[in-house]
Amino acid sequence: MAAKQDCHDIALPPLIKPITANEVDGFNEAKPSSKPSTVHPPSTSVFRIEATSMLKEEDGAQGTRSISINMPPSPVEAHLQNTKRVSFTSGDGEVDENGEEHEAKGARSHSQPMPKRNPVYDRRFDSFKTWSGKLDRQLSNLRGVPTQEEQPRPQEFENLPVHRYFDALEGPELDTLRAYEEIILPEDKQWPFLLRFPISSFSISLGVGSQAIMWKSLSSSAATSFLDVSPHINLILWLITAALTLTVAVVYAMKTIFYFEAVRREYYHPVRVNYFFAPWITLHFLALGVPPLIAQTLPQYLWYILMAPILCLDLKIYGQWMSGGQRRLSKVANPSNHLSVVGNFEGALLGASMGLKEGPIFFFAVGMAHYIVLFVTLYQRLPTNETLPKELHPVFFLFVAAPSVASTAWAKIQGSFDSGSRIAYFIALFLYVSLAVRVNFFRGFKFSLAWWSYTCPMTGVAITTIKYSRAVTCRATQILAVVLCIVATVTVAALLVNTVVHAVVLGDLFPNDMAIAISKRRPRQRWYHKKSGSSDSNIEHYLKYIDSDSDEKDVEASIHSSSPNSQD
Amino acid sequence: MEIQSSEKSCKDVALTVLTRTHAGYFRIALSLGWQALLWKILLKDSRMAFPLLTILWSFSLSILLLLSLLYLLRCIFFFDMIKDEFSHHVGVNYLFAPWISWLLILESAPFVTPSHASFVVLWWVLAVPVVVLDVKIYGQWFTKGKRFLTAVANPSSHLSVVGNLVGARAASKMGWREVSVFLFSLGMVHYLVLFVTLYQRFSGGDLLPVVLRPVLFLFFAAPSAASLAWYSISGRFDTGSKMMFFLSLFLFTSLICRPCLFKKAMRKFNIAWWAYSYPITILALASTRYAQEVNDGVAHAIRLFLLALSVLVIFGLLLFTAFHPNLLLDPTPSPTHHPTTFPTYLSAN
Repeated sequence: MAAKQDCHDIALPPLIKPITANEVDGFNEAKPSSKPSTVHPPSTSVFRIEATSMLKEEDGAQGTRSISINMPPSPVEAHLQNTKRVSFTSGDGEVDENGEEHEAKGARSHSQPMPKRNPVYDRRFDSFKTWSGKLDRQLSNLRGVPTQEEQPRPQEFENLPVHRYFDALEGPELDTLRAYEEIILPEDKQWPFLLRFPISSFSISLGVGSQAIMWKSLSSSAATSFLDVSPHINLILWLITAALTLTVAVVYAMKTIFYFEAVRREYYHPVRVNYFFAPWITLHFLALGVPPLIAQTLPQYLWYILMAPILCLDLKIYGQWMSGGQRRLSKVANPSNHLSVVGNFEGALLGASMGLKEGPIFFFAVGMAHYIVLFVTLYQRLPTNETLPKELHPVFFLFVAAPSVASTAWAKIQGSFDSGSRIAYFIALFLYVSLAVRVNFFRGFKFSLAWWSYTCPMTGVAITTIKYSRAVTCRATQILAVVLCIVATVTVAALLVNTVVHAVVLGDLFPNDMAIAISKRRPRQRWYHKKSGSSDSNIEHYLKYIDSDSDEKDVEASIHSSSPNSQD
Repeated sequence: MEIQSSEKSCKDVALTVLTRTHAGYFRIALSLGWQALLWKILLKDSRMAFPLLTILWSFSLSILLLLSLLYLLRCIFFFDMIKDEFSHHVGVNYLFAPWISWLLILESAPFVTPSHASFVVLWWVLAVPVVVLDVKIYGQWFTKGKRFLTAVANPSSHLSVVGNLVGARAASKMGWREVSVFLFSLGMVHYLVLFVTLYQRFSGGDLLPVVLRPVLFLFFAAPSAASLAWYSISGRFDTGSKMMFFLSLFLFTSLICRPCLFKKAMRKFNIAWWAYSYPITILALASTRYAQEVNDGVAHAIRLFLLALSVLVIFGLLLFTAFHPNLLLDPTPSPTHHPTTFPTYLSAN
């Protein structure tokens, strides 16, 4: 401790001094010697305790104050704090508005007793804002509201390596923080709404959109004409989907504009990245389920526009699988990856419905090749794969999505429901049944918005069954079609009720999104943590405990260990 | 004395050449062979191109003869080195390269048609070693032993798949349908397994040293070869061939969008650079067949682009190789054939 103190003293002007509340007034004066500075490095729990206690005294910090000593955990950190300001826990706007320049080179007074929290500018979220809040300040400048001074961009937010996500998070959707981990945003406060709005919110429109298509098929297919379903249901559902999609898209666009860092972190999250396909799949659903009243045929250039983002995402994600490095498939494979495959198949289906020939085959081929790889990998349930939940979770229903959409797409491409389509359909049916008989194991999970995307496979199987019963019309297939449609509708209704309850009654539809706030480094105190998360080991060593710090060392290719900055 | 010293230096040169000519050098022959085949198919109907084709083919043949001779001498005098190559996970796949090259030369010969007796005989002479190697290597993949698939899989393993597919294509040209389908299914099944394994990438580090990154181009060589083989078997460029071609196109795009992968390998000229050439040529050939089938603007644009790229690359490589004669003749001793330095050995510089 003494050594560190010395170190710190050498690095910074002497800042360490016990303060009492009385000295708060002299706080901003240019007296380096009198400034305590408690910097909040992102991952030290020691300081969080202090910070929390300080937070509690918001009203002018007149309470008794204990010593707030800045003790960086290592000289390196001290140096870091010198050169970069970790700004997200900086003092208030109030402090800075005085315009005082702190001469301590870079080390600002952070988390000093906060006299008054400016309700508008809580700077703790600045690091997540686009350009560290510069855009915010520009906008508030335009509005004529006084702003704070500029802050240097925190350089901590480089590529967050994927093993950090596995280390820090757990759960089938990798959204629960592990007990020993710290996050860089305040845990106790509710974050701004935009920060809490995950990309998986697009799943709602996925779920409702697939329902719209299902009701369209029910009303228009010859096999189910005995049901006499009104086409108005399709119209209503389609309009709801369109409205929902627009809303979610606008909100997420705002999040991208204002909190780009948060969006980046979602993109690097191994599960959430697949939801970046969701907006485009929803647009596909809208195009596929468009009621005849609105449009009979759609222009072909629309397909190219819709598929361009999917192609880019494909190149990025599948390329990462192929070129290895940190994000290779055996490490990041999880059932949500099916969404990327479904995106390709849906695109093929849409293109074939529009009358295109070559493009749909292209996307079908790409989707099929990567689906085979993914399917084998997930079925293997590799020990090196962390994200497959040991118990069943609704995410498993995504297994059913890919073969059913592939079946429909192939039928559309070929023009008839031939053997290839039937093979895919039967696989989908088998997987569905093997999950449905285990419905008891799906209990006890925390509700999340992503559950909406799991209804889309059920609806998908129902739609494919309708198409199948068109090809093979008999009592059994018709009954099957009706039963599956009922199940899908009931599930969606139940989910809707659940969502409304969480939104209105419980108020926790959008909880603090822990997954995007994980720190870049592990917390220092490792002795009390549980077994570490990801281990990047050889299969033969998977049973041994491996310190994840050494996960970059590869046993097999000892000459060529992958560097932490390897191709991502 | 002078004569002695010059004799000695001659011997030294010969020794160096033989020790350095490993199977990876057949990449040159592969590239030239595929180019010859490509131009033969493109200019099939044009009489006037016959001399050009003959020149190209003769050039390829001479290079291949030279390389085969050198490799034969190496087999005779330095059999240990061959054994080393065989036991190395990258080197073993290049043992297919000579047979593939000869098959290509055979197919692209301007004056030999597949119905010739000599074609048939030569096909058997070339295909049997491919099958023997298959049995040995694929058998190792799934049976007990140290060289199971997850331990040895690397992008150059695609070369074994390409070997089967080229054999299948040649067989179907001869009209031997069953043999052709046999080789095709053999290749495709192992391609499926290899594809999944390589995508999964169990072990953290790449089994491929950085210098050999150009071999990643083989990722899209295999599906293009499959597309061509299926085209020959089924008679037209149907949906199956199209799907393989599209997959290959996608993988190609995915690789060229990642130039950083190849940055380190491009620092110094290297025999491994020749691995860029023949996958592009195979893809160009597949795109030619595709454009013939579909016959629209986009297909022709893709075809022209790939053709231009393939010609550019091979010309560039020929020039580079011409300006680096030390590839074969440098008297400085090459890294020894110690197994741990074998990766650098395969890249020959």
